[in-house]
Amino acid sequence: MTPSPESRPEETDMELINRWKAGDSRAATRLVGRHSQALARFAASAGEREGIEELVQDTFVRAFASLDSFRGDSSLRTWLFTIERRLMLDRRRAERRSRETVPVQESDHVSEYGALDGLIAEEAQERVRKSLDALSPTQREVFTLRVQQGLSYKEIAEVVGSTEGAARVHYHNAIRTVKEFLRDV
Amino acid sequence: MYNCIDTEIQEMLPDLLHGSLDGHERQRVEAHLATCESCREDLDVIRTVKGAAVFAPAIDVDRVVRQIPPYRMIVPGVEQPTRTRIVSWLVAAAVVLAVVGGGSVLISKQLKTTPAPVASTPPESVKVANATKTSNNSQSPTVTKIESLAPAHPRALALASDIDGLSDGNLVRLMNDMNRFDALPAAEPEPVIAVDSGDSL
Repeated sequence: MTPSPESRPEETDMELINRWKAGDSRAATRLVGRHSQALARFAASAGEREGIEELVQDTFVRAFASLDSFRGDSSLRTWLFTIERRLMLDRRRAERRSRETVPVQESDHVSEYGALDGLIAEEAQERVRKSLDALSPTQREVFTLRVQQGLSYKEIAEVVGSTEGAARVHYHNAIRTVKEFLRDV
Repeated sequence: MYNCIDTEIQEMLPDLLHGSLDGHERQRVEAHLATCESCREDLDVIRTVKGAAVFAPAIDVDRVVRQIPPYRMIVPGVEQPTRTRIVSWLVAAAVVLAVVGGGSVLISKQLKTTPAPVASTPPESVKVANATKTSNNSQSPTVTKIESLAPAHPRALALASDIDGLSDGNLVRLMNDMNRFDALPAAEPEPVIAVDSGDSL
């Protein structure tokens, strides 16, 4: 008798991928359930104000369509973050093109982030949000991936397409900025 | 304000909150935190940011899964040519074109720069040619013996380094060619004309 999915011990991502390849659609449900909220939080932290659910959905569709290229050198979540980040950059480029001659600046990201004002209620969250607004887009990505998602510097470097050393520098600069901001308010 | 200079410890602080340090690393970080105020402040900042995760909408897992296409294994044989492969073929074609074109130019240049058989041609061949002419076209047995080595093309006559390798027919053609060159010295000696100086009177 085969155990039900609920009673089955925690399977690794790789095991679930192999099960999905073998035709078990429940494996896909478990993979999406395991990683979808982290992807949504990363998108929100990176400044996406709307269409986060579509973004997460596109990320999974693209990832499952190219699962053969996933070798397991990094974790599946890191790989998913990388795909999602590329999709976010594509979105921003498309938005930039639609705005034609108006260049995108740091303040644009701040205003996108500002759309979450009504959703962040507590004072501590408001302070954190403002401190993250003071970071550059890359610093914010590195800092949130490190602090909120707990990724290693090597994984962060893969996601943001940088080096491990550069990720460390971004992290140090970010925490100094956030620390000073939180001390001043 | 004091800032800690132990960057290794600072970089491990998020791992401490995520519980991803091993026992030894955890003890090391905690021992450092006991004496370092700057790192304790950093840890507070990290804890605050981690706890204040921004709002993110709940994802409908079933809806996402419905959009995922069924798995299709990639068959290597039916791969379409990628852009990279096309570029590689273009580069290879360009290299072949450059080699063939460059070779053609070099050959044509070489042919142009080959010294024409004028007055400055090696005197040895001229001497031999003249000597052959003065011997009334006699067929030397030595020349006949190596006839098979003779160059087939008339132009090659001028390029041949060894006159002994020429057949009789080619020798005749060579001599005829040389007779057309103005700068060549006349093969026949000038006739001697007796001049009467009047001394005999």
